[in-house]
Amino acid sequence: MTLKVITTSLVLLTFSVAAMAQADISPERKQAIDSLALEKVRDLSKYISIIGNKKTPYSEASRVMDRAEELFAPESEMGVSSLNKKEVSYYTVRKYFERLMALNYDRVTISWYDIHYISDLERQPDGRYVGVVTIYQRFEGESDDGLKYKDTTKKDITIYVERKKTQIQGRTIEFWDVLLGDVKVTETSA
Amino acid sequence: MLFAIIIFAHSASGQIIGGEDESKLYADTKQVNQFFRRFNGEEDEKGERYYARDKQYRSPKLRKKYLGILFDSQNPNLKSEQVTQFAKDVLDNNQLLNFHGGNWFSEVQATFTMNGVEQTFTLFMELEKHLQGTRWVISKVYGQVFDPYFQRDTTKVGKFLHPLSHELAFMNFRKAFSNPDSVSQFAVKRFRPDHLSVFLYEMKKGNLKFKSVESMKFHFFQVKGWYFELSDFNRPGNNAGWLISNLVKVNNEQEQAILKKFLYYEK
Repeated sequence: MTLKVITTSLVLLTFSVAAMAQADISPERKQAIDSLALEKVRDLSKYISIIGNKKTPYSEASRVMDRAEELFAPESEMGVSSLNKKEVSYYTVRKYFERLMALNYDRVTISWYDIHYISDLERQPDGRYVGVVTIYQRFEGESDDGLKYKDTTKKDITIYVERKKTQIQGRTIEFWDVLLGDVKVTETSA
Repeated sequence: MLFAIIIFAHSASGQIIGGEDESKLYADTKQVNQFFRRFNGEEDEKGERYYARDKQYRSPKLRKKYLGILFDSQNPNLKSEQVTQFAKDVLDNNQLLNFHGGNWFSEVQATFTMNGVEQTFTLFMELEKHLQGTRWVISKVYGQVFDPYFQRDTTKVGKFLHPLSHELAFMNFRKAFSNPDSVSQFAVKRFRPDHLSVFLYEMKKGNLKFKSVESMKFHFFQVKGWYFELSDFNRPGNNAGWLISNLVKVNNEQEQAILKKFLYYEK
C-alpha cells in the first residue's frame, strides 16, 4: 500500500466512526467534510504547480498527472474562459494538465492565493452531495527572449461527497469520501 | 518515488500570495452561494459559515453590513433611495433568501450550432426536486432563430379554413398546407410558441449542437414586493463578483406576471 493510500485511509477512518448512523450532514460533519475537500484541493494545487514547473522532468510530470487524475471523478472536465474571450473551452482533466505542461515558456511560476471559499453542500437526485470550492491561482510565464505573461485565474472546483462502506476485519465501517469533479477556470482582473 | 513527489509537491506549492490582492478577493462575492449567505447574514468576512448556534447568525447588524455591498455600485439605474427602501423592507420584515424556496431562476446565454451555423439561445433554468435531492432543469428556451417560423398577424383576414370545411372532410388542407410559410395562420389565436419543444426536437434530430455558455444571470422574486437581478462582475476593485444589477418594486401579482413575460421574451 502506498503512502498516499495509507494517508487517505487514515483520514477516512477518522471520519468513519462519527459518520455511522447519521442520516444528514450536521454543521460538525460539514466542517469535517470541508477539511477533507480542502485537502484534496490542496493536493490538486500542488500537482498543478509541479506539472507547470519547467524543471519537472517529463517522466515525473507524467506520474504526477496520474496522481492528479485520481483525485477526480470519471469524465470530469475543465472549462476555461478568459477576459477577452467569453467562449468556454472544454478539456478533459488529462488534456488540461498536458496543455499546462506543454506551455511554451522557459520559466513558469504558479502560486496560490491564501484564500478559499467553500459552498454549502446540496444533495443530488442520486443521494450524493455536491459542493463547490473556489480558489485563486497566479500564473507567471517568461521566455528567454523576454516574452512575459501573467494572469490570475479563479478555479471553481466541484466536489462530490458520498457516504461509502467498507469491510475491515469483519466490521462494516461507513465513511465520507470526497472526489473532485468539473472545474471552471475563469481569468480574473485581479 | 511517491514519497519524493509528495516532498517536492510541498516545496512547489510553498508560494502563497497575500496583501491587497487578497483583500479584493475576500471582498468579491465569489459564488452565488456566497450571495445567499451574505444576504442572509450567515457568514463572517472571511467566508466562514455561521450556524444557528452562532451569535452573529442572521443578526440584523451583520445583514445590514452585507446588504450594503451586494449591489453593483457602478450602475446608475440603481437609485440609492430605492436600494435603501429595499434594504429596509428586507431587514424590517426579516426576509431571507432560500435556495430551495422557488421563485428564482437562472437565465443562461449559450451558443449552439444549428445546421452548422452559430446561434445564441437563452435557456431558463430552475431547481426541481427529484428523488433524493434537487437538480437544475430547463423550464423555457428562447431562440431568436425560431421566431420567424411563428410570426403571424392575427388582426388581418389572411388565410383561413372556412367554417364548413368539415363537410368536405377538410379537403382544403391540401391548399392550406401547400405553402409552409403561411401554415401558422391556421393555428388557434391562443397558441403561444414553445421554443423548448422545438429546441428538444432539433437537438434530438441532431441539427442543434451545444458549443459554449456565454453568460449567466439570475432573477429573484423571493423578496415580497420586489424583483432583483443578480449578475457576475469580473472587474478590479472590491465591488465585484455576484451583485444585484437590477432592482424593481413590484406592487402586485399582475405587475409580476408582466415582468416575468418580459424576462421570458414572451410577447
